[in-house]
Amino acid sequence: MQVTLRVNGKLSEVPPSFIGRRLLDYLRAELGLTGVKEGCGEGDCGACTVLVEGQPMCSCLLLTGVLDGREITTIEGLPETFLAQFSAACAEYGAVQCGYCTPGIAVMAAWLQAGGSEVSAQPITKLLEGNLCRCTGYQQIIEALSALQ
Amino acid sequence: MPPAKSPALRPSHLPPVELYRPADLGELLAHAADGVHLLAGGTDLVVWASQCGEPRRLAWIGSIDQLQTLDITSDRAHIGAAVTLSRIVRSGQFRSLAPAVVDGAAVVGSVQLRNQATLVGNVCTASPGGDTIPALHVHDAALDIVSAAGDRRSVKISDFVHGPGQTGLNTGEVVTGVTLRGLGQREGSAFSRFTQRNALDLAIASVAACLSFESDGRTVARAHLSMGAVGPTVLDADEAARSLVGHPLEPARLRNCADLTAECCRPITDHRASADYRRQLVRTLTMDVVDAAAERAIPGWLAVEAP
Ligand SMILES: Cc1cc2nc3c(=O)[nH]c(=O)nc-3n(C[C@@H](O)[C@@H](O)[C@H](O)COP(=O)(O)OP(=O)(O)OC[C@H]3O[C@@H](n4cnc5c(N)ncnc54)[C@H](O)[C@@H]3O)c2cc1C
Ligand code: FES
Ligand code: FES
Repeated sequence: MQVTLRVNGKLSEVPPSFIGRRLLDYLRAELGLTGVKEGCGEGDCGACTVLVEGQPMCSCLLLTGVLDGREITTIEGLPETFLAQFSAACAEYGAVQCGYCTPGIAVMAAWLQAGGSEVSAQPITKLLEGNLCRCTGYQQIIEALSALQ
Repeated sequence: MPPAKSPALRPSHLPPVELYRPADLGELLAHAADGVHLLAGGTDLVVWASQCGEPRRLAWIGSIDQLQTLDITSDRAHIGAAVTLSRIVRSGQFRSLAPAVVDGAAVVGSVQLRNQATLVGNVCTASPGGDTIPALHVHDAALDIVSAAGDRRSVKISDFVHGPGQTGLNTGEVVTGVTLRGLGQREGSAFSRFTQRNALDLAIASVAACLSFESDGRTVARAHLSMGAVGPTVLDADEAARSLVGHPLEPARLRNCADLTAECCRPITDHRASADYRRQLVRTLTMDVVDAAAERAIPGWLAVEAP
């Protein structure tokens, strides 16, 4: 089985040993994209969130082998201009403490800024249900992300 | 001091699995007959495999085009086995046809989860608290199943789920999709659940309702009520539903119906809630969803009823 992904714009052929492993493991261990975090490994925390064809998913629940031909975006692949705005907003509203949830939040923020939603008029709190933060209490994150929209 | 020994692999790390990507249904059936576990969105399966190291051989259904179809006609919908919950939540056409199913799909996990998880996977996991199952009951859903020999059968959802994690699927069989009945005229459906947290939590109790009205817009013509997380499987509350039929939906009748659902459910006490608390929830949720279903059937029905 051959599996080729486009990760942050670059084609990468997945070695056979990673086809039956999680996308999270491939991104971190093989490609060194350690911005992608493992919080729970069970779909609960969202620290491992990446975009697959522009849609947020948990890389801890995806097997690399099912993603042949797909475009994957991690925090490392988000545009510099967006990251600058995102960090400025986080600094202004105090949306980062330990930072472990932040890469997942950044990916969600990029998705939201690109018009991401499931149905119209969903509040950010609903769309961020899958991203846990143990430090900030969320209010600061919601404020920072609202300012970015 | 010597450095602390590095910890063993965390138990949630997934040991490498053997993955197959069948090109068509025939190949998938051959894998299923060979005892390979079917992988849809993986939101249950990858968690189990990470926690217990089983199953180790998986065949992914997502590469098979015919399982990707979401087919909607004026009175029914067929949801292919590879259709994700987010496709269901995003489809306006599907929402008009089966709003209760959208209510259920929309509360599963999170945006990320719904982008991966399938409706059929939610049914096949057969959790008593599976959030799409009560709504599928009230929409008279049936599972389309094909065997290794190519025989096809259709099984009503209430006959398909036998107990927690147990379905009527035989070895080698594959679910190709779910077919459900869409709303007719003056008909509405709704689903609601109660959880301790607002998201990423399993239902303590849930109820779905579907009801239709006679042409007078007052008298209930047909009703179906179904309850989740208060029994070993999702349970239909037939007597409670029957109590509504043939009468206008007056507050006293609605309260009586809610009492009947609370009586017929079979909740247990566990670490999340007591049986008694679940019973109270079923009563309240029944009032909520019958009200919401009626509102969808006849917008403003409460005003119609006002003396
Ligand atoms: C963090 C988290 C939160 C969650 N929250 C909720 C929630 O609020 N409510 C809720 O109801 N669920 C919840 N779930 C579970 C929910 O995501 C799953 O039940 C999901 O719908 C299963 O679909 P899947 O495509 O991911 O299935 P998979 O995990 O791929 O498969 C699940 C099971 O179904 C079988 N299967 C899949 N497709 C077929 C087929 N075509 N034929 C035969 N068998 C098949 C598989 O072999 C496996 O046994 C949650 C899960 C997680 C990880
Ligand atoms: S590590 Fe994937 S959701 Fe927590
Ligand atoms: S900042 Fe620590 S988990 Fe969010």
